[in-house]
Amino acid sequence: MVEKYDPQMKSYQLPTWLDELKQKLNHMDDAEVVELRMGTHASVHLLYIKTLIDHERLNEAIIQPLHRCAGNSLSSCITNAKVSEVTSIEEAQQKIMQGFILLNDSVNDQWLGVQLETTLGRAVESSQTETVIYGAKDSFSEQIDKNITMLRRRLPITTLKSESFTVGSLSKTKVVLLYIDGLTNPKFISYARKKIESVNFDQFLDSSQLAAFMEDHHHTVFPQFLQTDRPDACAYALGEGKLTLLVSNSPFALLAPITFFHLFQSPEDYFLRWTVASFLRLIRYGSFIVSLALIPFYVALTTFHYQMVPLPILFVLLESRSKLPFTPFVEGLSMIVTLEIIKEASLRMPTKTSQTLGVIGGIVIGQAAVEAGFASKILIVLMGISAIAFFLVPNYQMTKSMVLMQVSLLILASFLGLPGIVIGLIGILAHLHGLTSLGQPYFAPVAPFYGKEWIDLFIRGPLIWMRTRPDYLKPLRKWRQEMKK
Amino acid sequence: MVPYKHYSLLAIACLMWMAGCSSPYVENNMIEEIAPVVFWSVDKGTEGKFKISTLVPPLIQEKKRLLTKEVDLLKQGGKEFNLIYNRELKQGQLRMVLINEELAKKGDIEKLVNTILVDPDISMRVYLLIVRGNFDEYINNQLTKQENQDYFLYRMLKHYEDHNQGEMSIVNIHQFMKKLYSPLEDPILPVFQSDKNNFNYVGTAFFRKDKEVMFIQNVEDEIFQLLGNDHFLKVLAIPKLSVSLGRVRSDVRMKLSRDYSSLSLHVGLNGRIEEYQGEKEIQSEEQLQHVIQEIEGYLEEQTSDLLKRMQRLKVDPLEVGTHSLKPFSKEITEKQWLKYWGNMKINVDYDIKIQPLNNVERLM
Repeated sequence: MVEKYDPQMKSYQLPTWLDELKQKLNHMDDAEVVELRMGTHASVHLLYIKTLIDHERLNEAIIQPLHRCAGNSLSSCITNAKVSEVTSIEEAQQKIMQGFILLNDSVNDQWLGVQLETTLGRAVESSQTETVIYGAKDSFSEQIDKNITMLRRRLPITTLKSESFTVGSLSKTKVVLLYIDGLTNPKFISYARKKIESVNFDQFLDSSQLAAFMEDHHHTVFPQFLQTDRPDACAYALGEGKLTLLVSNSPFALLAPITFFHLFQSPEDYFLRWTVASFLRLIRYGSFIVSLALIPFYVALTTFHYQMVPLPILFVLLESRSKLPFTPFVEGLSMIVTLEIIKEASLRMPTKTSQTLGVIGGIVIGQAAVEAGFASKILIVLMGISAIAFFLVPNYQMTKSMVLMQVSLLILASFLGLPGIVIGLIGILAHLHGLTSLGQPYFAPVAPFYGKEWIDLFIRGPLIWMRTRPDYLKPLRKWRQEMKK
Repeated sequence: MVPYKHYSLLAIACLMWMAGCSSPYVENNMIEEIAPVVFWSVDKGTEGKFKISTLVPPLIQEKKRLLTKEVDLLKQGGKEFNLIYNRELKQGQLRMVLINEELAKKGDIEKLVNTILVDPDISMRVYLLIVRGNFDEYINNQLTKQENQDYFLYRMLKHYEDHNQGEMSIVNIHQFMKKLYSPLEDPILPVFQSDKNNFNYVGTAFFRKDKEVMFIQNVEDEIFQLLGNDHFLKVLAIPKLSVSLGRVRSDVRMKLSRDYSSLSLHVGLNGRIEEYQGEKEIQSEEQLQHVIQEIEGYLEEQTSDLLKRMQRLKVDPLEVGTHSLKPFSKEITEKQWLKYWGNMKINVDYDIKIQPLNNVERLM
């Protein structure tokens, strides 16, 4: 017969708990149960996972104080660590797996948990995915508490609220929802809460997995949460009225609600002169169009619309294409796939190997492909321009999605020519128009139209003119400036 | 029921459909399988037929040859070229149509030009040229001497069209047809002289309807450039007065009398003396004024002669007739205008402002 905790009797049935926990920790080499004998206490059982705890702190915070302990309760003896009472066997299991030390207070007939998890992790490093010349260099790491510290240092206000959730039946991943109380629209907060609580999956190894469960549209190629490892970008977003989600063991925070245009914004935009930043932003949008449509445009022109090619280029094209065995579509598609293979391979390889790969790839898709008669000279030039244009879009997830859009446009161009490309682009626009991020329109401030917000859309206007927070985020406090007393 | 958020897509799709962009049939123009020709040369054939020629392969470094066919219809020629050449000849990059002068003088080039104009594949910026002599002979002779002769010919026309330098009257098919169908304007075309070794610009042909009735060259052509075409000449050489004016810009003002009995033509010219080989000392202001008066007198005389010829042949390439148009009044008919134009008294007045390129002693 299993004896259970009786709230009225406040009896933990020590032998039963201990046995049950021991049973749960069976076949775990790193699980330890230690019995300490000391002072007034007959004996204390310590249960912990030795790979999860900080051994130095175990000695400092528990073993030494307990030896010196003359009080009536264990909690009064342990002064330099956070002690909490454990009230159920399930909680005991959970805490022990989170790096707590469980100890039983036989005098007071209670179980206590002391948090002594090891601080295993890397130091604060600079961002590898969103590098900037100016601006802060620190970036998030896998330790969620450190990440919250970075944000709290940037926003030292009591209205920056953080709510914790646990997701994943196996991974028990901690998710922290951050927002500025009294600024962020409460509808977003409750919507996000509801979404997180509805998540039901076993493992979450990265924040992108959580985003996949929280997204409004699962089948689109457009990310509806902005992933960033830059605390300054998160702080700026929080200040605008967005939410931030931090996920333990993931250095990438999730920002929402976002719009399509956020994917083209870099944190550095706000550190540069507004004219320079605006120019760079326009180039990014231009690059987006170029990277999507340049190769399909080449295929459309060489398959259907030779009339549109300027004569001097037509001269080179005719010369070059007359020796090729493939149609422009096959030529374009094979070059796109080859480029993706090289890009993927160089990403997954160690740095030195990837450099070699890059050189070999460059030669293969460049000179060798032309000389072997697999691709035309013009296409190689266009591929180069298109490939570089891809990298101008700051969001990596978006860059990956763009290849799919490029291939779709290529297929349409090969069947319908330029009208095919136009139909494809209209399709993309219509699709963007129908998307939402955390329930908010994804194509704002273009559709729905918020004219005032265009100052920070295709251009980045002067900061002194950006006096209000974006309307489409429906912030509770509209003005960025404080009223002077 | 279409969801509201897809209305914009529906609207754009409808617009595309209406604009004719949604044809389900796209023409296969695989670039390596076609030969986009750059020019068509049309000459008078035997038994009332056309003789059309083109160069293949266009713009590609293979051995070239001139294809020639005698046909009844222009499009028939295009089709028959395909049967004798391995690539399909396409007209989508047609940039020049050269019409033999004999054909132009005979008239009836309207249908020919119309055929090209209404072809949706052919751009409206096709240059029209009148060729005096045998163009086929010239091209055949140049095949081995100069690569891409057709392309460089096109570049020459494009250069003079873009910069309005006044050297040539460059006309595209759209401009020609616009003037052809306008009751108060007459079309013009550039004339090129062609023989075995040369192909050079010689002047401008004036058309009455679609028939060439007048040809001007040298000083007359230069005056025409100033009065009605580019209003600019890089160099206006007047050998008779031993003077060359440079960077000449004109400001032409025409005033018709109420009863269309007279035309007052005032031409303001601005330029500089770039060369003078005459006897006078143009460093002296008095003598310079004398030279200017001589130039004015010479240009007035030449212009009057040119206009008289135009009146005699009842052609109006200077679009004088358009000055009869007034708001809220009925437009005069072409017949009426030609009657007035033929009998009109014309007063020509030149006012030349010259910047000498040397020091001039001023009169006190």
